[in-house]
Amino acid sequence: MSDQSRADIAVAKFLEHTDSEAASFFEACVHCGECADACQFYLSTGDPKYTPTYKLQPMIRAYNRDKAPFSSLKKMLGLAPSKVTEEELLEWEPLVYDSCNMCARCTLVCPMGIDIAGTIRKMREGYAAAGMVPEGLQSAAEYVKKTSSPMGVTIKALKAQIAHQEKACGIPIEVDKQGADYMAIFSSMEIMGYPEVLGAYAKLFKKAGVSWTISSVAYEATNVGVQIGSAPLAKEILQRVVDAAEALEVKHVISPECGHAYGAIRWAGPNLMGRQFKFEVVHIIELLDQLRREGKIPAGKKDGRRMTLHDPCQIIRRGGLMKEPRSLLDDSCSDFIEMKGAGITNFCCGGGGGVSANPRAEELKTAAFGLKVEQLNGVENLEAVVVPCGNCRTVFEDGLDAYDMDLEVVGLSELIAQTLAEE
Amino acid sequence: MSFIEFVEGPLYYVAATVFVLGALWRLIGIIRIGRKKDISPPKGSDALGFVKGNLRHFFPRGIFARRTWLHIVGGYGFHLGLFGLLLFAAPHVAFISDRITGFSWPTLPRWGFIITAEVAFLGLIVLWVRRFSDPVMRLISDWDDHLGTWLTFLAMLTGCFAMGESSVFLRATHMLLIDIWLIYFPFGRLMHAFTFFLSRGNTGATYGRKGMNL
Amino acid sequence: MKQQSGTGRLSNTTWTARIATIMLLCALALVFATGETYANSHVRPPGDAVNVIADDGAPNTLGDRSDAEIWDDFRGGNPRDILAPQPEGTVMTTTGQQWRVIRERFIVKYAGWFPAGVIGILALFFLVKGRMPIKGGRSGKTVPRFTLIHRIAHWTTAGVFMILGLSGLIILLGRPVIVPLFGREVNSVLTSASLQGHNLFGPLFIVCLIWMFVKFIRGNFFQLVDFKWILKLGGLFGGHVSSSQFNFGEKSWFWLLMIVGAVMSVTGLALEFPWFFEDLRWLQISTILHGVGAIALICVSIGHIYMGTIGVEGAIDSMLIGEVDENWAKEHHDLWYEEVTGKSAKEAGETT
Repeated sequence: MSDQSRADIAVAKFLEHTDSEAASFFEACVHCGECADACQFYLSTGDPKYTPTYKLQPMIRAYNRDKAPFSSLKKMLGLAPSKVTEEELLEWEPLVYDSCNMCARCTLVCPMGIDIAGTIRKMREGYAAAGMVPEGLQSAAEYVKKTSSPMGVTIKALKAQIAHQEKACGIPIEVDKQGADYMAIFSSMEIMGYPEVLGAYAKLFKKAGVSWTISSVAYEATNVGVQIGSAPLAKEILQRVVDAAEALEVKHVISPECGHAYGAIRWAGPNLMGRQFKFEVVHIIELLDQLRREGKIPAGKKDGRRMTLHDPCQIIRRGGLMKEPRSLLDDSCSDFIEMKGAGITNFCCGGGGGVSANPRAEELKTAAFGLKVEQLNGVENLEAVVVPCGNCRTVFEDGLDAYDMDLEVVGLSELIAQTLAEE
Repeated sequence: MSFIEFVEGPLYYVAATVFVLGALWRLIGIIRIGRKKDISPPKGSDALGFVKGNLRHFFPRGIFARRTWLHIVGGYGFHLGLFGLLLFAAPHVAFISDRITGFSWPTLPRWGFIITAEVAFLGLIVLWVRRFSDPVMRLISDWDDHLGTWLTFLAMLTGCFAMGESSVFLRATHMLLIDIWLIYFPFGRLMHAFTFFLSRGNTGATYGRKGMNL
Repeated sequence: MKQQSGTGRLSNTTWTARIATIMLLCALALVFATGETYANSHVRPPGDAVNVIADDGAPNTLGDRSDAEIWDDFRGGNPRDILAPQPEGTVMTTTGQQWRVIRERFIVKYAGWFPAGVIGILALFFLVKGRMPIKGGRSGKTVPRFTLIHRIAHWTTAGVFMILGLSGLIILLGRPVIVPLFGREVNSVLTSASLQGHNLFGPLFIVCLIWMFVKFIRGNFFQLVDFKWILKLGGLFGGHVSSSQFNFGEKSWFWLLMIVGAVMSVTGLALEFPWFFEDLRWLQISTILHGVGAIALICVSIGHIYMGTIGVEGAIDSMLIGEVDENWAKEHHDLWYEEVTGKSAKEAGETT
């Protein structure tokens, strides 16, 4: 592949993904710089190059040169911007992948309502098509193709974890159960790092009296295709889950405590596949809240630790599930304090959007986590933080270690299962 | 033909035509690009989201208000001041009712005109000073930003000079700057005046469909 | 005279302080000259005048009194006392004439020469001494000096000040300068435009002045180290002078701007709302103070601009970027540098 053609491929993809929505964004940006004040990478480093609108520069230039109204007129008069070169694309690659979690704080603050986060997702399509993707994400994609898991978790490993959990909680966990109410998918991070979540699901669903299963061919919820920005890969990964769920004829698929997984299957899914699913998609937090309101999983003795809640971006700000974790925590905890800036404006952990899978971005991610540390330090005598996302949990554990902080990190499903009312 | 007759006559007609046709061409061009229909099961209404998005982004949310206060104050001061002037200053109302609408409406008293103008000027100066003082702004600003700002400033300044309406030359200079501003408008970032409702609306619709408030 | 390192470098606003002093002295001179002229405003009859009221003719209605005394009675009061209220029953007011004389013969006549003179002196100074380089060259490391809000406040005020200064000079010097050069039509247009602009932007200056006061007051109080600084004339005659965040010259400029700026604000508002004043003399004194204050501020600001741009290397960084080179900081504001960085400003081999 010659230098020029990589740039051509990327630019062609940029233009293909610049629909009227993206075009309206490019035409409305007034360079006001407020997005910088929302971005944890700019705030933690002070480097202006992390300004969100700046990260979109190559895509905007390509649009202004080749697709914008008056672009032909401007080209004739020599006023159109110059062609995007491969050097520029390479220079921008770390900005697009290392310093963006697609957390949408910038979208929130923009006076013109520009969805910069969503547009970074579209921009990554150009990079993925041209093969300009960070190494860490590239190897994750390769694992996924081989094992369906970005961490290479095989069905053997999963079954071992399931067996462990069945023993620990004393409840059977059925694999490939035909016609179950719910099919659960998990992130590899949860399966390997926090397998207690399997036991928690078992306990909760037994109490609620709903049937559930895990598919032996489609247990992975994360979608590295979404993180890399490759629609074909995203579709391929999703296909496995959809096929398995439809083969098992389950009524619902549960998206786990994971960031982008919900968006990938719930919102992007049908559009990637070109059709509706034969099942409904529900987020585990949504489901738990619904079951609790229906009285099926009543709360028992409350957890007395001083707790706060981290709002994973893709679940709360970009997922719309702000109330549910809070009402669940209110029932299950006696000392739940919100951190400053909680809710829709909360800071990302710094590792979302593929950043945590990218070793090159390690330093930047840790710097961004510094803002989270400030928020945590703002809650006096804090003992634990509830983090309803597997990726965020890993980032928290690494980050707290880096900042020498002693704090317990708790998953939401496990907490709800632990504080369930006794029989 | 005298200077004033030219700028209020043929040049004005050219400028107004370029402005209207150019702005329409650009807006329609953006909309015509189209977007794929979203077939995922909706949680909310995208039409309602379009409206909500437009309204919500007028107000900075929560902790962002404190961080960006100077931009908000300068921005609103300038824009509200400018609209106040454009729509309620007596000479402007006279021009509009004469040339465009055929009817007029109540105007600001002179002291109201002055205060509105002062707020508009202070806002614009603060905004432009911020543009070259803030390292983020220095990185992301281009010549279009500066040209748009200066054309607007000069249009307002010549308007200020022409107050009292004692000098035909000053009035004509103001009209000339307005004509230039109108011609430049559809091709630069000044178009944000019309595109903002599309961008806010699109985000509002996309997220509103998902039952979210972004 | 070639000067040794450490003595040839006049710190930053030494010149501003000196120019301010010169201007103060000139202002005082103006006041004295005014008083002197005022004393001579007594009108005498022409040499060949004939006193038609004959001493041996019919007695005049007011008895044996001279013409001058009769005119005095018409005028009322002491013609030398412009501030005393007009007595009852006076037919003519002459304070207007006195005011007009002061304005035409002194303010308008000489005003333009002061800024021109300052520019001339600075040009000469620059030709002779050149730009003051940073001692030891740029280190490449910077220290933050002014936040974004400080910089925005400063440049907004500067922009408004330039508009006011320029329009004000046009209004003041329209007739003596513009008319001879460009004709009455041009003067009419320029002055008309300037008046509108000046009146509109004036109140903005008041807002900006308050903003500047709030943002820059901290650090601008005079301290012992400032008096040591001025005793050494900012290092003009040898040795390094210590300074905290702002030196004596900068502090003087701040307070001059605040005090004269306040006078400008009050007199400016008075002139924009003249109907609030029954006694014309308030407006007359306002125009005089406004004009004199304007010239003072314009002159000192020229010095300030010179210092901040071409005069001293590294100075503009503080206001453009908000950060200054470490060597610049050590040289010009060593105490501030030590306070902010915790490091010593003394280098090996530096003369103290």
